[in-house]
Amino acid sequence: MSKDKLQYDVIVVGAGMAGSTAAAIVARSGLKVAVIERGVKPGSKNYFGGALYTHALLDIYPDFFDRKPPLERPVTETGFWFLSEDGMVKATVQGGYVNSDPIDAYVALRAEFDPWWAEQAAAEGAFFIPKTLVTDFLYEDAKVIGVKTDRPEGDVYAPVVIICEGVNNLLTQKLGLIDHDLKISKTALAVKQLISLPAKDINARLGLLDNKHGLAISVIGDVSLGMPGLGFLYTTNNALSMGVGVTLDALEETQIKPYELLQRYLEHPAIAPIIKDGQLMEYGAHLIPEGGWTTLPKLYTDGAMVAGDAASMVNAIHWEGTNMAITAGKQAALTAIEAHKKNDFSAKTLAGYQKRLNETFVLKDLKQYRKMSAFLANHPEFMDIYPTFLNDALGMFFTGFGKPKGKLYKDIFRSLTRRRPLLKAVGDLVAFGRAITGI
Amino acid sequence: MIHLLASIKQVPDTTNIRIDPETGSMIRKGVPAILNPYDAHAVAAAAEWKRKLDGKLTVITMGPPAAKEALQECIEMGADRAILISDRKFAGSDTLATSYVLAEAIRKIDQDDPVDLVFFGKQAIDGDTAQVGPGAAIRLGLPLITYAVEISEINVDEKYAVIVRKTESGKEIIQTSLPAALTAEKAIAEIPYAALPDLITSLKFIPEVWSADEPLAYDENQIGLSGSPTMVAKSGTPEAHEPAETISVAEQGLSGAVEIILGKMLSNSSVASLLEELK
Repeated sequence: MSKDKLQYDVIVVGAGMAGSTAAAIVARSGLKVAVIERGVKPGSKNYFGGALYTHALLDIYPDFFDRKPPLERPVTETGFWFLSEDGMVKATVQGGYVNSDPIDAYVALRAEFDPWWAEQAAAEGAFFIPKTLVTDFLYEDAKVIGVKTDRPEGDVYAPVVIICEGVNNLLTQKLGLIDHDLKISKTALAVKQLISLPAKDINARLGLLDNKHGLAISVIGDVSLGMPGLGFLYTTNNALSMGVGVTLDALEETQIKPYELLQRYLEHPAIAPIIKDGQLMEYGAHLIPEGGWTTLPKLYTDGAMVAGDAASMVNAIHWEGTNMAITAGKQAALTAIEAHKKNDFSAKTLAGYQKRLNETFVLKDLKQYRKMSAFLANHPEFMDIYPTFLNDALGMFFTGFGKPKGKLYKDIFRSLTRRRPLLKAVGDLVAFGRAITGI
Repeated sequence: MIHLLASIKQVPDTTNIRIDPETGSMIRKGVPAILNPYDAHAVAAAAEWKRKLDGKLTVITMGPPAAKEALQECIEMGADRAILISDRKFAGSDTLATSYVLAEAIRKIDQDDPVDLVFFGKQAIDGDTAQVGPGAAIRLGLPLITYAVEISEINVDEKYAVIVRKTESGKEIIQTSLPAALTAEKAIAEIPYAALPDLITSLKFIPEVWSADEPLAYDENQIGLSGSPTMVAKSGTPEAHEPAETISVAEQGLSGAVEIILGKMLSNSSVASLLEELK
């Protein structure tokens, strides 16, 4: 079949949060945009059980909530659960700042949300091409002028390509925007189960009034067996999304299998009652690029930009990634539009993408948290000693009846110093402070 | 010019079924709808022969508006025309009613543009009845070749085809006059990986939609619930069976094992009475 060559103004690779956002913004400006997605549908290659942040969603569609998005429960209670081997301390917050209008975060299932998010972009005029893998770029005078796909007659042309290919950033590597493959110390593997339970059981067991209330919890401590990583729990309408993510190098070193880690978490005496009689609906795993600033690729070159997971735009401590992807997708799109106005798609014009991103929380936060992944790798005590100490300290404090309180406090103090000398503990706290403030 | 026709169905992806623990019914939300795999292979075979003979391929389906996606997949494979037969009046149709709807549609298409060979998948993976294809073929009075695994020849001028079908004991090679109908096994053709321009054509494709009244006026007593004598009394998840008891020959010895098994059989009252009768 010989036809004219497939020509668009902008090509977006990948129909995730970054890609469909970029496509919507580009299409809205009247430019012709094609989104090439390898999955059968947007979201079909995704595995996610977390929260989306309303600030980013509303920034793209101010009438976001009127569009009836397929969201699960709002996050009305959030915080940490600290696990020891047989106990748990909960430190969560509800009401107050969390009870904002609109609620700051919503739990979503990306297999449902992504097709909808793509539909919104399609309504703006973006054209989605599913079931097609982008394998390489087309160049002219060393400038990107399109992409090659795995289909016969599969070349697609556009003067600017926005790469939103996700964590496995083979194209970003191919383009030389980053000089290495994923690093096992900077990449986490998250394994997750979606466990179905009647809403009334979820509400009763987690102290939620109704389906308009939900939980987003980071679980720290025994869940990761001292490896740098966290467990999580999110409530959907009729299920719990529960998993654990740890860095690949730790898994390799300890030879602990990810599913064993997850099983252990779900069998923990404080966790098992929550999911009792639940039915396993889904089981899966996904990589998370946690290197942030340390694995940030060059964000642009002649004729191409990169956004989202492909560019390591994840803040693992705050579970942020989807909002960074949306924000970056938008900034890349605005830059592509500017390039079309100037009719200049060189790196010089596309550098505007980095300038725009510098003004947003995305690059500011990634820079501020640049020491975080190294910090967690070098401070396993935050994953075992301190959560256990917290459990012991509170447990002793509330059971020390009949014991002289001077002795009680000494015992509590000793339960810390027995595990970690006081000076070291103080040093750990300072180091933690430095890691989150970036100083 | 040869005219091939394929009749397809969009089905829930049964490899991905989830059951609501509260109601015991299938959760359709989030379950992807796909082109029935056997139908996909049937369309692939039809598309292959259409190209080979420079003919024409029409695809039809009865289903909800969303079934258009399944038709688009057929366009991607090379179909030229696609018709979606869709109307609330068809809701609840069983295999009898469905075969009526499809047969009448094929008859109508055939009047305007004579059809030489009709392709069905051997069965749909949701109902697994394997009744609709044969039902429609009988209504149309077409020779029917079920479980087709290969089309060896289609002779347009002399109006015959040679088709290989799978049987329990082997293969049968059948020469049939045309027009005819077949139901396809997956082996009949590989699903092609379409060229990008064909995929794009399919994504933009809008099928013709036929209702229960236009362009064909269906007999309302033969469609939907009123045309469907099949009753589903109950559906649900079967109870898990107790694991079977294992009698180890290594532990019991052969005669010991036979003795135990015979004892168990004889203690079963229905087996015992059967033995009594045989005596």
